[in-house]
Amino acid sequence: MSTATSTTRPPAAKPKKSRWKSQRAQEARLAWILILPTVLIVFGLVIFPAIFSIWISFHRVGLDNLNDVFHAPFVGFKNYQSVINDFAFKPGPLPPGWAEANILGKFWLLLTKWSWGAALTSIIYSFVSTAWTVFLGLVAALLLNRPFRGRGLTRTTFLFAYIAPIVGVAFVWRWILDPRPSGVLNDVLLNLGVIDAPMAYLATRGLALFLVIMFTGWRYFPFVMLMVLARLQAIDSTLYEAAEVDGANTWQQFRNVTLPELRYVLGALFLLRLIWTFNKFDDIFLLTGGGFGTKVLPILTVEFSFRLRDFGKGAATGMILLIILAVFLVIYVGTVMRNTEET
Amino acid sequence: MGATTYHPRGKQNILDQIGQHLNWKRFIFLTLLFMFLAFIIFPFYWMVSSSFKTRAEIGGREPTYIPSSLNLDAYRELFDPSSPDFQNFGRAIFNSLIIAVPTSLITVAFSALGAYAIARLHFWGKNGMLNGILLIYLFPGVLIIIPLFAMLARLSTMLGFDVQDNLGVLTFTYLAQTLPVGLYMLTNYFRTIPDEIEQAGLIDGCSRFGVIWRITLPLAMPALISVGIYTFMIAWNEFLYAFVFLNDRAMFTMPIAINTIFNDPTPRPHVVMAAATIMTIPVMILFLGMERFLAEGLSAGGVKG
Repeated sequence: MSTATSTTRPPAAKPKKSRWKSQRAQEARLAWILILPTVLIVFGLVIFPAIFSIWISFHRVGLDNLNDVFHAPFVGFKNYQSVINDFAFKPGPLPPGWAEANILGKFWLLLTKWSWGAALTSIIYSFVSTAWTVFLGLVAALLLNRPFRGRGLTRTTFLFAYIAPIVGVAFVWRWILDPRPSGVLNDVLLNLGVIDAPMAYLATRGLALFLVIMFTGWRYFPFVMLMVLARLQAIDSTLYEAAEVDGANTWQQFRNVTLPELRYVLGALFLLRLIWTFNKFDDIFLLTGGGFGTKVLPILTVEFSFRLRDFGKGAATGMILLIILAVFLVIYVGTVMRNTEET
Repeated sequence: MGATTYHPRGKQNILDQIGQHLNWKRFIFLTLLFMFLAFIIFPFYWMVSSSFKTRAEIGGREPTYIPSSLNLDAYRELFDPSSPDFQNFGRAIFNSLIIAVPTSLITVAFSALGAYAIARLHFWGKNGMLNGILLIYLFPGVLIIIPLFAMLARLSTMLGFDVQDNLGVLTFTYLAQTLPVGLYMLTNYFRTIPDEIEQAGLIDGCSRFGVIWRITLPLAMPALISVGIYTFMIAWNEFLYAFVFLNDRAMFTMPIAINTIFNDPTPRPHVVMAAATIMTIPVMILFLGMERFLAEGLSAGGVKG
């Protein structure tokens, strides 16, 4: 903390006390003047709306009374009930053929035929894709941690996936995964003989979610890579020398030196990415439009509010999203953080 | 890292040397590196190359991996008013710029002042404010947009302006996303500038604003540039708010315009790719040119998402 003005100044002598006090008050006044524009905008456009959305979720707000929103009728938990009972939110009935299928077949039916509902889809999507993103980021960081010619350029190239506009990269991947035979993946797989006819990858339940998860890893691994790389370069090299003297091979060095050193940063990154992924709207919306088993809570929130024009229901969906998010945070702080502190 | 570093150089025979260059560790390393690079580079190659293809090349039975020539049909459709499917993409670029540039400038100005106050001055509520900013980082944007839309709709009927298709309103909502980013990054940067320099300025008779203007801001220039570029990129790339607030084609920003071209009943991937190229290339060039400032900003939270 560089509260430097007070630390570097010599302690005020007694008779000057009142002046010192007023200087302090002056400083506080100046600080508030400097920060006021930011505070006003952030309060007006983030904090107040956030609180207001709780209010909206308990009222009936539609297009008809949007202009008079403060007098919207109170409906209690009706919006929440309506969301929870919505077929888009809750898991659907078991798919046909469930009873006859064996264990593997049941699993396959669950993945490809069963409607998960937005809540479950959101949770599975964000956990799996976060794990995949962190894994890719870790591998990329380990690759870039050893010196080779062109390392700087490689790092920059990796970062491209992360900084390029989402609209651009999402549509490029849609074009690569195009259902027509002119799509690259179709062409490659047809030539390799993996498939007989062109496939609509992003319009197939199960496969669509899998590809969206792959895309999330592709786009966001550079962020993890950058953070892990910074931590890797801070590891004391004498640790590796000591491990080598003890006869540890590369794998053992990784397991017993690198991984423990990275544990905290990997845990923190997992949480941060999990939250950001859970909140994600653009990526999935641009890739699949939220169809074919990829409807996550943020997409459902926007659909309820701006397609059905039922803002109360949309806000209730958003609040449910926020509650699940808060549960993640509590579980995480309770388990992972405590474990990392112990070691 | 490997045990190879401990081989005394003189004792190697030729087999050892080949072994050293082709051992399995190196093989795995090169394979992985190649795969990563291929998966990153190919989509960007595909974006740019597809934008130069003719209609026949884009709609053929098989993908054309290398376009026969630098065909500008797609770009003509975007920019040439005499083209039958004219998209008026120049207007979208203009709209994007007219939003992104003020967003970036206002964010830098306001957040520099605010960050200075948080980093240097002593006042009540400072730590709460910094923690609050971090919380905003984690808050879902989809939840904010509903009340924001309702609030602005109410305000607009009161004050008599349009919420929809109003680029000024959109810029204003972007500030809510960029100011926390700017404030957070700049606070961290100001804290690394030694306070003694400012103290010297104060002792020499500079006013507080004089010190900020003549000493702190010039020293923080790299951070200011990096915040400016990041907030420019946030506004340049933003999709959801623009999607909700813009209905009129003439007001579309680039992301929405591209989305519209993509969802056109007759698919024209080359036009989508041309538009995506136009949107992506400036960001890449900015990043390449300023990488020294920007890479650090990424890990400091410059891009949320």
